[in-house]
Amino acid sequence: MRKHHFDELHGDEDESEINLTPMLDVVFIMLIFFIVTASFVKEAGLDVNRPDAPQQQAPPEEANILVRIDSTDDIWIDRRLIDPRAVRANIERMWAENPQASVIIQPSRRSTNKMLVAVMDAARQAGVPDVSIAESTR
Amino acid sequence: MRNSQGAYGAEEEESEINLTPMLDVVFIMLIFFIVTASFIKEPGIQINRPDAVMGEKQADAAILVAISPENEIWIDRKLTDPKEVRVAIERLHSENPKGSLVVQADSESQNEFLVIVLEAAKAVGVGNVAISTEGDY
Repeated sequence: MRKHHFDELHGDEDESEINLTPMLDVVFIMLIFFIVTASFVKEAGLDVNRPDAPQQQAPPEEANILVRIDSTDDIWIDRRLIDPRAVRANIERMWAENPQASVIIQPSRRSTNKMLVAVMDAARQAGVPDVSIAESTR
Repeated sequence: MRNSQGAYGAEEEESEINLTPMLDVVFIMLIFFIVTASFIKEPGIQINRPDAVMGEKQADAAILVAISPENEIWIDRKLTDPKEVRVAIERLHSENPKGSLVVQADSESQNEFLVIVLEAAKAVGVGNVAISTEGDY
């Protein structure tokens, strides 16, 4: 049927070959589209750990290392004002006392992200695997 | 060139270029780019990331949420109200449930908005959440 139809339209041609050129055009355009839209985004970041089991979310307060960042970007650990450069040493010391502890950062609403990331980074450098962020306080 | 083909394939009366191998290559490239195309939702603004030493490369980042120094939340090239962050993340998460979320918060942005985004991501159930940082990784 196909051959017959083809022959009827192009009676001068003796062989009926499929013309691949239009398909090639389409495939090339799709190829170019996907190459152009391929966004090779490189993102680096600190993971925010979240406890998997919500029912285990209420450990005793003293079991964790609480780091508070107040609205003027001051860092408080254990009711003491800590210099940003000393955060790592302090977390390291407290974690050595209680290796099961996780670090919980309590940022104030007005504190800046810079300080939060600095504390998270310090906790990671101290070797604490579990660093989480609590809801904003005041 | 044409002459040599004529010498080797003397039984053919017309010398046509065989497109089939090229088509194979083009198709394989096409499939490669379709498969590797990770449709990342860019937030649409540039921010100044805070420095960190321990940052890890986030390979499967699919949703990017940016917080500008003026505490505006940008998702998918749109300025998003803090109340609508959850809905926006839910919509993007349903498109790519395996992808993780990276919050690109400016180093001067306030943590109130960062926590809003983190809480929204937690409520939606995004598998992995990270805060974007600058540094060699």
